[in-house]
Amino acid sequence: MQSCRRKSLWLALLASWLLGLLGILPLLRLAVPTGPRAGAPQGWPRWLDAELLQSFLQPGELPEDAPQLRRAPRGGSCDWGACFDTSKCRSGGFKVFVYPAAEPTSEMQHKILASIEGSRYHTVSPTEACLHLLTLDAPAGACSLVPPKWNGGKNHLVLRLHPASCSGTFQLGWAMVAEASPTVDTFRPGFDVALPLLPEAHPVRGGAPGQLRQHSPHPGAALLALAEERGGWRVAATDSSACPWDGHCEQDHGPEQTHPGAALPNATFCLIPGRRADALRFLQALQAGCIPVLLSPRWELPFSEVIDWTKAAIVADKRLPLQVLAALQEMPPTRVLALRQQTQFLWDTYFSSVEKVIRTALESLRSFCRSFRTGSSEHPLTHRCCGTAPQGHSWPCPRSPRVPWTSPSITYSRILVLWSNDKPPPPSWPETAVPLLVIEGHRKVSARFFPHSAISTDAILSLDAHSSLSTSEVDFAFVVWQSFPERMVGFLTWSHFWDEAQGRWGYTAERVNEFSMVLTSAAFYHRYYHTLFTHSLPKALRRLAEAAPHCVDVLMNFLVAAATKLPPIKVPSGRRHEDASPPRVPGDLGPAARDCIDRVAAGFGHMPLVSSRLRLDPVLFKDPVSVLRKKYRGLEKP
Amino acid sequence: MCASVKYNIRGPALIPRMKIKHRIYYITLFSVVLLGLIATGVFQFWPHSIESSNDWSVEKRSVRDVPVVRLPADSPIPERGDLSCRMHTCFDVYRCGFNPKNKIKVFIYSLKKYVDDSGVPVSNTISREYNELLTAISDSDYYTDDITRACLFVPSIDVLNQNTLRIKETAQALAQLSRWDRGTNHLLFNMLPGGPPDYNTALDVPRDSPRRYFLLSSQMALHPEYREELGALQAKHGESVLVLDKCTNLSEDVLSVRKRCHEHQVFDYPQVLQEATFCVVLRGARLGQAVLSDVLRAGCVPVVIADSYILPFSEVLDWKRASVVVPEEKMADVYSILQSIPQRQIEEMQRQARWFWEAYFQSIKAIALATLQIINDRIYPYAAISYEEWNDPPTVKWGSVSNPLFLPLIPPQSQGFTAIVLTYDRVESLFRVITEVSKVPSLSKLLVVWNNQNKSPPEESLWPKIRVPLKVVRTAENKLSNRFFPYDEIETEAVLAIDDDIIMLTSDELQFGYEVWREFPDRLVGYPGRLHLWDHEMSKWKYESEWTNEVSMVLTGAAFYHKYFNYLYTYKMPGDIKNWVDAHMNCEDIAMNFLVANVTGKAVIKVTPRKKFKCPECTAIDGLSLDQTHMVERSECINKFASVFGTMPLKVVEHRADPVLYKDDFPEKLKSFPNIGSL
Repeated sequence: MQSCRRKSLWLALLASWLLGLLGILPLLRLAVPTGPRAGAPQGWPRWLDAELLQSFLQPGELPEDAPQLRRAPRGGSCDWGACFDTSKCRSGGFKVFVYPAAEPTSEMQHKILASIEGSRYHTVSPTEACLHLLTLDAPAGACSLVPPKWNGGKNHLVLRLHPASCSGTFQLGWAMVAEASPTVDTFRPGFDVALPLLPEAHPVRGGAPGQLRQHSPHPGAALLALAEERGGWRVAATDSSACPWDGHCEQDHGPEQTHPGAALPNATFCLIPGRRADALRFLQALQAGCIPVLLSPRWELPFSEVIDWTKAAIVADKRLPLQVLAALQEMPPTRVLALRQQTQFLWDTYFSSVEKVIRTALESLRSFCRSFRTGSSEHPLTHRCCGTAPQGHSWPCPRSPRVPWTSPSITYSRILVLWSNDKPPPPSWPETAVPLLVIEGHRKVSARFFPHSAISTDAILSLDAHSSLSTSEVDFAFVVWQSFPERMVGFLTWSHFWDEAQGRWGYTAERVNEFSMVLTSAAFYHRYYHTLFTHSLPKALRRLAEAAPHCVDVLMNFLVAAATKLPPIKVPSGRRHEDASPPRVPGDLGPAARDCIDRVAAGFGHMPLVSSRLRLDPVLFKDPVSVLRKKYRGLEKP
Repeated sequence: MCASVKYNIRGPALIPRMKIKHRIYYITLFSVVLLGLIATGVFQFWPHSIESSNDWSVEKRSVRDVPVVRLPADSPIPERGDLSCRMHTCFDVYRCGFNPKNKIKVFIYSLKKYVDDSGVPVSNTISREYNELLTAISDSDYYTDDITRACLFVPSIDVLNQNTLRIKETAQALAQLSRWDRGTNHLLFNMLPGGPPDYNTALDVPRDSPRRYFLLSSQMALHPEYREELGALQAKHGESVLVLDKCTNLSEDVLSVRKRCHEHQVFDYPQVLQEATFCVVLRGARLGQAVLSDVLRAGCVPVVIADSYILPFSEVLDWKRASVVVPEEKMADVYSILQSIPQRQIEEMQRQARWFWEAYFQSIKAIALATLQIINDRIYPYAAISYEEWNDPPTVKWGSVSNPLFLPLIPPQSQGFTAIVLTYDRVESLFRVITEVSKVPSLSKLLVVWNNQNKSPPEESLWPKIRVPLKVVRTAENKLSNRFFPYDEIETEAVLAIDDDIIMLTSDELQFGYEVWREFPDRLVGYPGRLHLWDHEMSKWKYESEWTNEVSMVLTGAAFYHKYFNYLYTYKMPGDIKNWVDAHMNCEDIAMNFLVANVTGKAVIKVTPRKKFKCPECTAIDGLSLDQTHMVERSECINKFASVFGTMPLKVVEHRADPVLYKDDFPEKLKSFPNIGSL
């Protein structure tokens, strides 16, 4: 009895302890968070009567009330709607008239004027023009008078090559200003044009290609190069010492080399101070593929209206140097890769020659000149992601649609016959499964590469009357072209070479282990190249094509290579190699033909052709397996 | 147990026999137990709100209880704002210097009620919208309650509505904020000029049915000059243009804000906006903000005819993709201008307008966060959100690839490549591979990844003597992924991954493979090709190694690729693919093929006719059954990876790369790569 009582006593005690614990635990949990925890953000209070608060708009108040009058355009806030008369550009097309320069001109002005005169927008009649261009290149004080058709500056573009030229002599009024690296204080966004600050020796055309040789930075490359005040660059130590780039703490820079002159050290980032004089360094870094890091630039970046500079450069606040340094050190490889490549794309497309700079300026003006602003044009190349290029010249677009894979199938949309004879075409044509259209070519070579409206597909198979191809060959070439729509896919090839003995370019059908051109007598390519050929070739090259029709193959290959920076693609052809030399240029391509490549190269200003040593064959091409397994049996014959 | 049993048996007899003090004792004890039980129950089942710890940290008060601040009539008035202010002149960026992760810190002043000398409140303490806005900021990552670390200050003085504001007194109230300092780094939200977006109107999702009107104007208070021009447009183009105005004949109880009229026809607003393709946003008293948000929401493309109107967030949003801006001067031509826009572009603009609305204007919270993000982007431009992230609708973002190696660049041949040999313990075969590979002219470095932790690599003197540097890396764990690690030793961009038993590839074949890679540096360039096929019966993917006409993968037993893909494989491989590969000790090559195809959107390049690495005799020994399980395993990998990637990124092609004169009728000794091996 006693023991049991004791036991039950113990049990009851135990139970009460247990219950006590159970009961206290939640109480403890409640007890801890009462009152705000130290350190945790308190936040904006949750008002008990938040639901009862009134709207900021009074109940009777209408969102719109008294109307406002129109404002007359003011000179200070000019934009395209207010200060530019676009009606002229729409009726007569975008034509540019250049006032003849009165003063002895500088070399740069000469180059610029030559580029404008070579562009397709140039006109000699001031009445036809929608844009009048006036160059001011005189040092301050000596200025030309106000030009005859000034009209308050309306539809005028003032090209100011020296920062201070003629600033006081006449009012700019409604004129736009194109200036190299204008200061951000006077630049009128959406109206003025910011040009790059070019060195005097900048080439008129062609120009040196970007210097980037590899996509990712070399592991040994320095992180940061600094533009020095005296010119030249130096490599910075990147341990976060307090003043890694401040010119004032020169005492101890550790192991750095000074690079005198223009040579740019091998670095991933190039730090450029914000002074206007440093704008030259900006282009230098861009060409070298060294990602420009601009510290609070006081000047407007070139073509900032159309180029998205955040994709190629880093603009940072000079007041936060340590933050910038940390950001550069921690930048993910993917971003570095993208920035580096974009510098090269921009350099090659817009800046490498005076001609390109001028074309970019005119194209961006032209795009503003349309009577309204809306989405981008339909060019396959002016993809918006590339910085909304005005008729860019390159294919690289970081973003392309992800299309689900479908079995490639060839469907011929239509056949276009270009009748290039003075005699009328025959009245009856053979029956074809697809529509056949005959276009009169009037013996002009350019008609062959004209963007005929009848071309409705992206792919064009260009053929000569005497080309003969089997269906296997064409089918396979088309399938390959679908994988590489930006390149030319052809059967017969030439290759170019530098003739040391004569100091000139040459090309041949004989160097058979590699090639750099395909013959357009049988080749697939994108129809966009017709647009490029017709609308963006410089005048001189168009004239060359008309004068020397046999050069058109070379010219087309140059055009595509300049746009893609890649070699064309060769696919197997059933014909034997000996037939490769084209009938229209017999033998070893003759002296006239050899002349071609030299003249075209001179017209382009550089040699864009790239050699390739590979040929794309069907997967089972000439493999010792049953022919029945193979899809393109027609190619198997020796 | 004992006790309870005894009580049950003898219970009734127990209590009378106990002494009084014992009885009291027991009763007390039992009541304590009972109370404990009740207490536990109560706490377990009490409404949970009192336990949620969040609310304990946030004050819970009424707006009416906030402290009152009396502004003397002669308290200082701040200077007028400087209109020429720029980020680099008026913004004190030093205050943002110590923010981690490139994110600004925002401080909100606590709410006060401001009264003037005579005790009349300066303004409505806080509006519903402003409270929402401050709550959104407070809930975001930007918020800090430490005024000393903040880089941006948001006053709790509500200035959303300029119309009801007592300008002088409000300015005085702002001036006495503790960190005001001429307003440096202070952010004011002012929604008027322009009406508020109305977040209560029931509006269904835009319909796909054709829209009845081509052009619609719904604004009420327009200048007569504009109305005249709109009228002219309507007269000229008839039914397709609809110009609405305020209703004059409505009875009092109908909310006039919700109705619009054309002559005597009454339309519901904003529903009528859904009936139009283009909606006019004209210069009104407040530059038409209210109508803009209504228009966006209805999926109608705004036609902005208001010179010098700065569209909201135009710093980052590309309005060209969602709207048409026409100069006021050209208003008469607006119809023909709009007609010239192709249908496809109109549809895209409608989608874009809708997306802008959903992402940036739909709620006060969205507006507040977009505003802070823009300021953040200005202060830390190198960490800014890109154009695509701001502007591309999610469908575009997901549905497109951006090739990380987009620049067409043929690396110079002189750079050469680094060969990486993964090995475990087959030293003899490894040495043969090293000797063979070292014959390739463009090899610049050889890296041996020693994957065997139990055994040390042979002594240095035993390794074959080759003309290029040879490095041995020992790994911490025997994992297949070690092959794709971005070792610091890799100095070239081109990497040749090669197994320690691949001895059949000739020097010509490898050199040619490198040449092909130079032309396609963003692709995997390999020798034997494989294919993935859709098995219709099983409804899943199948691995195919037969001799087909197509290729979608290459084996990485010997393959060239860009070293950047090593980084991607190691650090950016989606899902648990890396672990799966290491656990199964298989399919690392398939994973690499998926990764590269997914990120570049491009197909592999198969080089030369090579079909398999092993000689035919060797596979015969393995036997058919082993081959079968191998195929099943590989197929499983494809299905697993496709589900992790959420798509099938592999691209199928029908071509391979051969040297220009391969199998041509041409003297062998004149060919650049005569020794291209057989199958």
